[in-house]
Amino acid sequence: MGVVHGEEMVLNIGPQHPATHGVLRLQVRTDGEVVSQITPYMGYLHRCFEKHSENVTYEQVIPFTDRCDYLSSMSMNFGYVVAMEKLMDIKVNNRVEHIRVVMAELQRIASHLLCTGVFGLDLGAFTPFLWALRDRERILDLFELTCGARLLYNYMWVGGLSHDIPTGFVESTFEFLDYFEPKVDELENILAHNKILVERSADIGVMPKDVAISYGVTGPNLRASGVKWDLRKNDPYSIYDKFDFDVPIGEGKKGTVGDCWDRFYVRIIEIRESVKIIRQALASMPKDGDVHQSLPKKLRPPKGSIYARTETPRGDLGYYIESDGSPIPYRVKMRSPAFTALSVLDEIGAGWLLSDVLAILGSLDIVLGEIDR
Amino acid sequence: MIKYFTDIFTAVSTITGGMFITLTHLIGAKKGIATLQYPEERWPRPERGIGFEHGRYNVIRSRLHVDMDDCIGCLKCERACPVDCIKIETEKSPDRGNDLKDINHRGITSNGTKKALVVTRFDIDMTECCYCNLCTYPCPEECIFMTGGPNGKKHPIDYEFSEPDRSDLIYRFAKPGTKEGMEKIMNEKSQVEA
Repeated sequence: MGVVHGEEMVLNIGPQHPATHGVLRLQVRTDGEVVSQITPYMGYLHRCFEKHSENVTYEQVIPFTDRCDYLSSMSMNFGYVVAMEKLMDIKVNNRVEHIRVVMAELQRIASHLLCTGVFGLDLGAFTPFLWALRDRERILDLFELTCGARLLYNYMWVGGLSHDIPTGFVESTFEFLDYFEPKVDELENILAHNKILVERSADIGVMPKDVAISYGVTGPNLRASGVKWDLRKNDPYSIYDKFDFDVPIGEGKKGTVGDCWDRFYVRIIEIRESVKIIRQALASMPKDGDVHQSLPKKLRPPKGSIYARTETPRGDLGYYIESDGSPIPYRVKMRSPAFTALSVLDEIGAGWLLSDVLAILGSLDIVLGEIDR
Repeated sequence: MIKYFTDIFTAVSTITGGMFITLTHLIGAKKGIATLQYPEERWPRPERGIGFEHGRYNVIRSRLHVDMDDCIGCLKCERACPVDCIKIETEKSPDRGNDLKDINHRGITSNGTKKALVVTRFDIDMTECCYCNLCTYPCPEECIFMTGGPNGKKHPIDYEFSEPDRSDLIYRFAKPGTKEGMEKIMNEKSQVEA
């Protein structure tokens, strides 16, 4: 008796499906319930970011970078301004750098909270999702206090920030962190070690080191596979070299290194590391310094091109900016971390059950706004 | 065999642990921690009086408003807008710096700038606005702002500006009749010159 092969069936998941985290269509070839091939079709959220950038001035690109990865807009702004400041050779003062780091790390916490919460939701745990969103809301309140917007900030400008932080921001952030740290433990206790979640995610969708590297996967997904690579440590930008924090990697505590559970758990540890960075940055923030000090009068970078990369919650975000000396960029190219994470889906997702594919997709933490741009 | 029983043990212990956490939340729930009854109750907005350590900024992002008496028609906001939702048309004022009573035009702004232009059209399409706030910074007279900002006393914060019709969200700030009035004035002037 050999293995019985039934007729293969082609299934479409999405584009309107809650588990695809946006508008993504997965064409899945199934044999019974075993998936043999996954073909992602994207482009449903394509908004011509790169082409549009060639028609607006440099400062007008920033609101569009917000809308690429709408779950971590601050980090997207950060990458763009780091690239532009490298191109124009601007040095911003220490206060600006500290505020930027605080904002980027708060955003990382917010993004990871959503990711871990939604991962639980994909696997059927509803309560932790609401708790994660409740705490994320507090972070968004802090952002609203600072710049008036909750999701799409346009906060970091080339050469500075749009606003200084309000009086009392430092205290309320410390207050939030004191409230938040026990909540992370609670989230971990209720979700991460839960036997149901472990059974659904451990040993599933294993991404070995070599696969992750050859596909160009970055960020928490790569670190979960056991590669210690974090741009904040390995290629420090801004003032990340001043802070003391660890880079968590997947250890395969519940199964194999690089499985879904590792990808999920690395994010929880990263939340704690971000809290550490924020505490240090707030404590060492200089009291004075004008956030508009090094704003250029006119954004007119010299002829040339630049590629700069930063670490967003989803991984290695790169901006390639080509300037022809005019106030309008000749080309803005974004290297999206979520795009590479999606490309590995077929490699690690084939061979698993249909319900596991959704767990793998959730653990990769993709944002379609950034993939389609 | 041992694995079988340890599996059962971890399953029971982790799930009861989780249930214990939810139970503490159930018992320790405070009033107002859950859903807000939206139209009756609202989340507190950030206080307007929050000071900024280094100067005052407009931090509110609600909806755009223009004080037409202060607008000099410099088009800086139109140029700053990344989505081109601001449309401005101007006409040269026949009497620079003086009021034009017929079309209700003020000649001098509250900052004391003499206006050389009459703004005949100032439309903002709030359906296109991306709330980036970029238009409010370059304004030399600080007449375009998000409601509730520095001029907040005059204009309360307003997030809820839904309209039954889409075209109602195109705000026309130029005073009604400005365009026709300007045409009339220019015609009269050319007749006098002739």
